[in-house]
Amino acid sequence: MLNKYTCLEKLADKRTDELVVTTMSVAMPWATHSDGPLDFAHVESAMGHAADFALGLAIAQPERRVLCINGDGSTLMSLGVLVTMAQRPAANFTLVITETGTYEVTGSQPVPGAGLIDHEQLCRGAGLKRVYTIDNDADFDAKLDQHFSEEGPAVFIWKIAKATEPVPKPSKPIRERAYRLREALTGG
Amino acid sequence: MLQANKIIAALEKQEITHVVGVPDNGSRTLYEQLWAHDKIEVVFTSREGEAYGLASGLYLGAANPLVLIQNTGFFEAGDAFRGTAYNMGIPLVSLIGYRGYKTMEPGAPRVDTAATFFEPTLKAWNIPYTAMHSDDDIGQIDQAFKKAAETSLPTAVLIVPETT
Repeated sequence: MLNKYTCLEKLADKRTDELVVTTMSVAMPWATHSDGPLDFAHVESAMGHAADFALGLAIAQPERRVLCINGDGSTLMSLGVLVTMAQRPAANFTLVITETGTYEVTGSQPVPGAGLIDHEQLCRGAGLKRVYTIDNDADFDAKLDQHFSEEGPAVFIWKIAKATEPVPKPSKPIRERAYRLREALTGG
Repeated sequence: MLQANKIIAALEKQEITHVVGVPDNGSRTLYEQLWAHDKIEVVFTSREGEAYGLASGLYLGAANPLVLIQNTGFFEAGDAFRGTAYNMGIPLVSLIGYRGYKTMEPGAPRVDTAATFFEPTLKAWNIPYTAMHSDDDIGQIDQAFKKAAETSLPTAVLIVPETT
């Protein structure tokens, strides 16, 4: 099993100018590393829609890598987006699914199908070709660079040890974060 | 008559880059013509909620998207609409097919709740809207974009008859 905080720290250390969209249990830990205009916490938003939101950003910004770090519970809320990602491939798009089997920010209740779901098979069944399941530190380190360089759509499934997180509270309201992001991407 | 080529001309005028959504019978001709368009990309989503998330990302990424869906899918998209386009303050215009409109006429043998729920839902979700019944109404698309830009909020134009 991977440690979420260690994985995020390693990813943040490698990150340069990529756009990073985070969700529920990842948003605040990621913000301890980076909370600038190109970090978008997809909270106070729409449940399960971080991946399609990030795909839109990737299509609009083909020269910039877009990473979406999504939870397994959030992924389950809109599984169809895996098919959308396959039918409209964005070469600059990386989806990370952090698999804990629980809803971390609501008290770690099990997600539907916890322990039964094979996320890699779900992704491959949806038509995605570059899908990697990572469950140990050595494999994570070996594939770290691929998170930024693999031709998208690429999916990395992190098997994460169970953890708990408080309800995420971003530093700015969502509209302010959205306008800040657009300003950073358009230059004004 | 509501002609797809005239709607597309209105979208060209607005410099739309992407049309995002799910087709229905009412928008079939419109989608067929958009597929062949050389400057507007069509992105089909698996469900309408995705359309609002994806279009919101497109807009923040400096593209100029439009959502094209049916009212049934609009109901499904409620949380996505609220949490992305609305909460993020995105001046996004939706063209929404009005399934069941004729079933609200007096004497209709049955009422389609897709129609009767529709406008009350638009009002409840604070979405300014107008309806296109014929080519004469296509200018409402321009007005919807103007309103969206002025308010930095989503607006909608309803497609009543099937496009031809």
